Amino acid sequence: MGLLEEYGGDAKVVAGATALTILLRNRLIAPRALISLGRVRDGLRTIREEDGALVLGALVTHREVEQSPLVRQRIPVLAETFATVANVRVRNVATVGGVVAEADYASDPPAVLLALDAEIEAQGPKGGRRIPVAKFFVGFLETALARDEVVTAVRVPVPPAGTRGAYEKFVTRSSEDRPCVGVVALARFDGRRCVDLRVAVGAASETPRRYPEIEALGRSTTLRGDVVPTIAAGYANATDALDDMRGSSWYRKAIIEVWVRRAIERVASESK
Amino acid sequence: MSVAGAPFSGLIDARERVTGRIPYTIDIELPNMAIAKLLRSTMPHARITRLDVSRARQVRGVFAVLTGADLLERSDVFPYFGPVLRDRPILAIGKVRYAGEPVVAVAAVDADAAQEALDQVEVEYEELPAVFGIDDALAPGAPLVHDEPPKAGHTFADIILHGHPGTNICNQFKLRKGDIERGLAEADEVFEDTFYSPPLQQVPLETHCCVAEVEAGHVTVWATSQIPHMLRGNLAEVFKLPTSRVRVIVPTLGGAYGAKCYPAIEPIAAVLALVARRPVKLHLTRDEEFVTVTKHGGRITLTTGVMKDGRIVARKSLCHFNTGAYADIGPRLIKNGGYGTAGPHNIPHVWVDSYAIYTNIPPAGAFRGYGINQAAWAYESQMDVIAERLGLDPYEFRMKNLLTEGQTFATGEPVEDCHFRELLTMVAKGIGWEAKTRRVQKGSIVRGKGLSCTIKSTVTPSTSSATVKLNDEGSLNVLTSSVEMGQGQKTAHAILAAERLGIPLEKVVVMSPDTDATPYDQQSSSSRTTYAGGAAVRLAVDDVRAQLARLGAGLLGVGEDAVEIAEGRVRTKAAPHRGLEFGEVVRKTRSGDLVGRGTFQTKGGLDPETGQGVASAHWNQAAAAAEVEVDLETGKVRLLRYHGASYPGRVVNRVLTELQLEGNIGFGVSQALFEEMVFDNGQLQNGTLADYMVTSTLDMPRELVTHILENPERGDIHGIGETSLPPVMAAIGNAVYHATGVRVKDLPITPEKVLRGLREREAADRPAPKTPATAPAR
Repeated sequence: MGLLEEYGGDAKVVAGATALTILLRNRLIAPRALISLGRVRDGLRTIREEDGALVLGALVTHREVEQSPLVRQRIPVLAETFATVANVRVRNVATVGGVVAEADYASDPPAVLLALDAEIEAQGPKGGRRIPVAKFFVGFLETALARDEVVTAVRVPVPPAGTRGAYEKFVTRSSEDRPCVGVVALARFDGRRCVDLRVAVGAASETPRRYPEIEALGRSTTLRGDVVPTIAAGYANATDALDDMRGSSWYRKAIIEVWVRRAIERVASESK
Repeated sequence: MSVAGAPFSGLIDARERVTGRIPYTIDIELPNMAIAKLLRSTMPHARITRLDVSRARQVRGVFAVLTGADLLERSDVFPYFGPVLRDRPILAIGKVRYAGEPVVAVAAVDADAAQEALDQVEVEYEELPAVFGIDDALAPGAPLVHDEPPKAGHTFADIILHGHPGTNICNQFKLRKGDIERGLAEADEVFEDTFYSPPLQQVPLETHCCVAEVEAGHVTVWATSQIPHMLRGNLAEVFKLPTSRVRVIVPTLGGAYGAKCYPAIEPIAAVLALVARRPVKLHLTRDEEFVTVTKHGGRITLTTGVMKDGRIVARKSLCHFNTGAYADIGPRLIKNGGYGTAGPHNIPHVWVDSYAIYTNIPPAGAFRGYGINQAAWAYESQMDVIAERLGLDPYEFRMKNLLTEGQTFATGEPVEDCHFRELLTMVAKGIGWEAKTRRVQKGSIVRGKGLSCTIKSTVTPSTSSATVKLNDEGSLNVLTSSVEMGQGQKTAHAILAAERLGIPLEKVVVMSPDTDATPYDQQSSSSRTTYAGGAAVRLAVDDVRAQLARLGAGLLGVGEDAVEIAEGRVRTKAAPHRGLEFGEVVRKTRSGDLVGRGTFQTKGGLDPETGQGVASAHWNQAAAAAEVEVDLETGKVRLLRYHGASYPGRVVNRVLTELQLEGNIGFGVSQALFEEMVFDNGQLQNGTLADYMVTSTLDMPRELVTHILENPERGDIHGIGETSLPPVMAAIGNAVYHATGVRVKDLPITPEKVLRGLREREAADRPAPKTPATAPAR
């Protein structure tokens, strides 16, 4: 903290450095100092369950989330999402704190964290605070973090029993590329009836998107039949999809429609 | 490891490679060596109005700061270079012609000091109107990339120059066979289609590197180069020195794929070493590599006349290759890419106009496939367009038109050792073509199959020499300027030498190129290293064999025709037990060593006006069959199965042959589905490996089969380094069409282009045979 203050915003905190190295090499950032969290111990490296939530320390790696028995058992879709990031070499060093603090629109985890109503725990000179993911990602490489704050953990509420989740990643180029669109669907069922539906779309806009009024259409249905395409079309319409080398805005909207439908169909098909 | 038992297969230096013991150029360290860095243009086309390096020169640890203006002031340096046209300044002189062009070079004690000096350079530009695409460059009144027509210099024997001064046309190639107007007039149907291939980068694992030293009137460079002797000649011209005072040493390369064919950074490093008065190392970063050399973007329009029975009777090709800001080897590549559009087909009337066009993007040069990728993407895609319209099966249609033994290629030369039909049949059987009735659909997933068959030349005429030294205990040193770049040149040449002399492979050592010691070899490219370089090695061994026979006969007291060389000995034919070991012959005659020399030359050349003559000493032949799966809701293509066939003639090294074939297929899959350099007003948008996509092993088909057609009786070696690449893209494109009815004409075949095509087809209410255009050709 002291160091961040000392450099007055001209320093960057670094953990796994998979993203920071690219930013530095492309001269997108040129901080005066890098503050390594490499030697920090105190709890930043653990995954624990606390008050109905999983708390992922900022220095926990993607690989650890992917392989954690606790995560796999309590929130399988979270492990599934982190397992799709890049390749195993990157996942072995890239951290949970890093992926949220970087706020790259083309990362996989932000969308699933949004759907899970996760909170980011941040620590600054004046103490700690929790920021809901919906308010944390502000824009392109931009978060609600103050210059002197660091991410210490990501707190993910464990969904109620009967919830199923699916993360569907769509790449348009090499299999090791980042997503053109990523969709996460979470549905809680009471018997065959859906009592809660959450859908988030990642990699298609500056920040991940959720539309509660469209999600609500799925409630009290079996998530079969016409309601699913209606929700999917709603998401495609509502999303201000961006243009990049992975796909045009037009194409992303087309993919959102297909991928939202398929993600919902997957969680619905797994219901008895 | 012996030629007596099972033939050796693999790499003789495999252990050194995997344990990191092979020295690459980047590993060369010299005393007092400086590190070089370059300041590159941020503008695609601009006049340099101010360039102030005075503060850069004052940075601590800086030995030299060099600009184009400095070069002009030196009487000991000729500041332009290029393999054909001397159109490329060592550093920008007066103006810059592409974003990324080197403007200032710095040599300093370390990389940080060099970077700090670059940060202190003050440069101002006055932006000039620029041209980026083919149409921009050809528009009437278009700004000229080069105000003056560039000067030609000493170059290769096969280069034909037809410049168009006052335009951006760098060179034209013409081919006229038969009577094109009559051919098209007599055809039952005429098809016109335009196909586009984007600029690409070769992406060798090792980026360009050069260590240079200039001392006492001698220039020495260690370079990542596929052409040691031409580089020596170019540097001699730059330094105004006899070539004997320039020495080029080429350590093993970490891949090249054409990127390292022609001089690029070596003149900068060498002149910087001269000015800094100490050795200099210049090693490019990946983003610099992207703007150093590229594959030509190409637009090809084919007008093809066919008879109702499926015979192709005429083809007119209009080819435009975007050669970027400097010619590099573009003036030659358009020739290959031009006549290449006739394909492996027996066509009586052919007309080709092929152009290299200057634009304000990074220079394009050699790239594995050398113009044939662009050509084959066009003609093999059009083959399926035609077959469908004529109601013919794509396999049958090809079989009707493929060249057979002795029929003439577009250049009028008869094609010998011709195997296209066998190759196409191999892959068609492999993919199960006879089982093909219609596309298979399951849910939103459709499957389809595609075929392709291509012909590629090797540079002709060409020359390779080799020297071998037989030592006094019977071991052999091979001196050749062929370059080891991971393809297995050293292994192949060692095998050829060992089997020709009849000694164990372990006794042969192949030296890396050093132009002071290793004899002339034209180039390690054009799939000619085992074929031509290897032939020179065998001729050199034959020279030693002749000497052994002469000297051995003398020692054995018999006539020369009474001895034979067999089983590692010189022996009398009458009594084979009477003989001498090779080492004994050397020792007993006090020869010291026996030096053999071999030169392999091919003859040929094309008429500059008609393109008729001999284009290639032999033909590299390949066929491919692909099966893909396409998701109709997303347009995403997955390659399921791939069969590739090539004709290497005689296989020298089976494992490496298979790996070359597979490597080509990986290259092709990447080009078919992913690769593209994206420019915005001349600025490269994806010059990193995070943004520029090359294929991942995960994208390779689960069923990948390479078929090798051999002809050991004939014994000819045909190159395989590039052969199986050109058919890949069209085989995949044809399979995608078969699955979806969408004909993508501009590479790469992205999911978005396929989905757009599907939507347009739906909108047009499914007119069955009509192919929707997927995107305007650029």
